[in-house]
Amino acid sequence: MATKWWSGAELAAAAERLVPGSVARTSETACALKPESALQTFRALRDDPETDFVHLTNLCAADYWDHFEVVYHLQSLERNQIACAKVEAWEREEPVVPSVVDIWQGAWIQESEAYDLFGIGFEGHPNLTRILLWEGYPGHPLRKDFLAMPGGLQPGLNEFAGTSAKPEPPVHPVQ
Amino acid sequence: MSEIVQSEPFVMNIGPQHPSTHGVFRVKATVDGERIIDAEMVIGYLHRSMEKLAEERTYTQNIPFTDRTDYLSSMSNNLGYCLAVEKLADIEVPERGQAIRVIMAELQRVASHCMGAGAFANDTGAWQTPIMWFMREREKILDIFEMTSGARLTCNYMRIGGVAFDLPESFEEEVRAFIPAMRQTIDDGEGLLSGNEIFIARARNVAVVPHEMAINASLSGPMLRGSGVAWDIRKADPYCGYEQYDFEIPIGYQGDAYDRFIIRIEEMRQSLKIVEQALDGLPGGPHSTEVPLALRPPAGEAYARIESPRGELGYYLVSDEGPSPYRFHIRPPSLINLTVLREMTVGGSIADAIVALGSIDIVVGEIDR
Repeated sequence: MATKWWSGAELAAAAERLVPGSVARTSETACALKPESALQTFRALRDDPETDFVHLTNLCAADYWDHFEVVYHLQSLERNQIACAKVEAWEREEPVVPSVVDIWQGAWIQESEAYDLFGIGFEGHPNLTRILLWEGYPGHPLRKDFLAMPGGLQPGLNEFAGTSAKPEPPVHPVQ
Repeated sequence: MSEIVQSEPFVMNIGPQHPSTHGVFRVKATVDGERIIDAEMVIGYLHRSMEKLAEERTYTQNIPFTDRTDYLSSMSNNLGYCLAVEKLADIEVPERGQAIRVIMAELQRVASHCMGAGAFANDTGAWQTPIMWFMREREKILDIFEMTSGARLTCNYMRIGGVAFDLPESFEEEVRAFIPAMRQTIDDGEGLLSGNEIFIARARNVAVVPHEMAINASLSGPMLRGSGVAWDIRKADPYCGYEQYDFEIPIGYQGDAYDRFIIRIEEMRQSLKIVEQALDGLPGGPHSTEVPLALRPPAGEAYARIESPRGELGYYLVSDEGPSPYRFHIRPPSLINLTVLREMTVGGSIADAIVALGSIDIVVGEIDR
C-alpha cells in the first residue's frame, strides 16, 4: 500500500477541525499555519488518532525574498500518510518562528541547521547555535541576498539566460 | 585500597581526526572517570554548501553533487534526486530504466552495508578480519559499477528520466557470478561475529534507543528498525516498482547496537534477493526517456524520498520555472540519526561511545554536505 500524500486542503481541514482558526494559507501541496497557534496545532496533529503525525520526517526552510517559509513534512507510520505544513515568517532581519523541539525531538538538529543557514530564530529551542558554520560567520548563506552581485546579476547561469555582456567579477562584502 | 577515589569532570575530544569517527567528525565528551556525562557533537568540517551551489546549476548539472554527499552510496543519492525532479516535472521512467535503478540501488546498499557492518566490527574490536572480507566483496560491486558507469564511487549514473547508459553486455553474467560469493561472505562474516561472546558483550545492550524515542527523534533506516519499528519506504511508499519484488524487512527488538548490526547483515541478503528478481524479470525497451537538457519544471514544490542504506533520504525541491532549482534541500539520514547521540552515549563508557557511533553508520560527507 502506497503512502497517502495529503493535499494542502486535506491538512487545512484537519487543522481547522482540531484548532479552529489555525490556518493562514492553503496551497495545492501544503498548508501554512498561523505562527501564534502553530505549536498548539502541531501538538494536536501529533496526538489526534486520525492524523497521528508522530514522525517529523523533514524540516527545512526556504527564502522567498519577502518572507521565509519553514517547511515541515509530517508523517504517520501507523496510518501511512504524509502531509506538508508550513509556518511563514514575514520579517526580514530577524525572522522568528516557534520551535517544535518539545513536540518532536527530531527537530533539534534540523532547526539548528535552518538557523545557521537562513538566520531564522526558533523560539523555545533549547540550544540554538550555529551547527555547520562557526560562530561569527558573516551572514546566512542560503538567504537569496547573500553575496548578491552588482547590477542585480545572479552568479552562475548568466550564459544560459542569454546575457551577452560578461558579468563583472563579484564584489564580496568586506567585513 | 580503603581510600575513596575521587574524580572530577573532564572534557575530552573524540575526533575530529580519528579512525573510529568514520570521517571528520568530533564528539566533545565530558567524562567523569570512564563514564560519559555529556556528549556534544561538533560538525561542519566538510561543509561545502551544496544546497547553495545547486541553486546556480541546472537540474542535470546537480546530479554529480549528489554523488558527493553520501560518498558510500552515490547510486542511492542519484536515485533520490532524480525521483524528486521527476515528481516535480511529472516525468515517467520506462520500465527497463526502473529495473536498472533498482538493481543499482540494491547493489549499492550491499556495498554500503559491507562498509557499515565491517567498520562496526572494527569498532567493537574484531580487528580487520571481518572488514577485509566485506571489503573484498565490495570491490566486486565497485567493479560492476565501474563497468556500467565508468566510476567506482562517484558513479553519476542515474539521469532525470532514466539512467545514463544501458547495461553492458556482460553485466548480468558478472552480477550472477557475484551473488553466491557475496552470500558466502555474509554467512562467514555473520558466523564469525553474531555468536561471538566478545562481540555480544561489546554490542548487546549498548547504545539502546527505545521505541518511542526512535519515532519522536525522526530516526530512519536501520536505526528505526533496530528499535522495533517496521518501517521501510520501499514497502511503505514503493518507488521504481519495488512493490513487484518479494523481500522482507528485518526488525530488531531491543534497539541496541547488536540489533542494528544484525539488521544490516540481513538487509544485504534481502537486497541480493531483490537483485536476482530484478535480473530475472529485466524488461526490454529504452532505458531512459528524452528529457530536455535545460529542463524547466513547472513552478511548485516536491518532496521525494527513498530508503537509502542509512535511512530516509529525501530531496525537497522548489521550482520557479527557471533552469535551476529555486531551493534544493537534502534530508540527510546520517545527520538526523545523530539526534539521539547524547542519549545513546551518556552513562556509558568512552569505548561504548565508539560502538554507538559505529552503529549509527554515519557518512560525514552527507552530514555536512
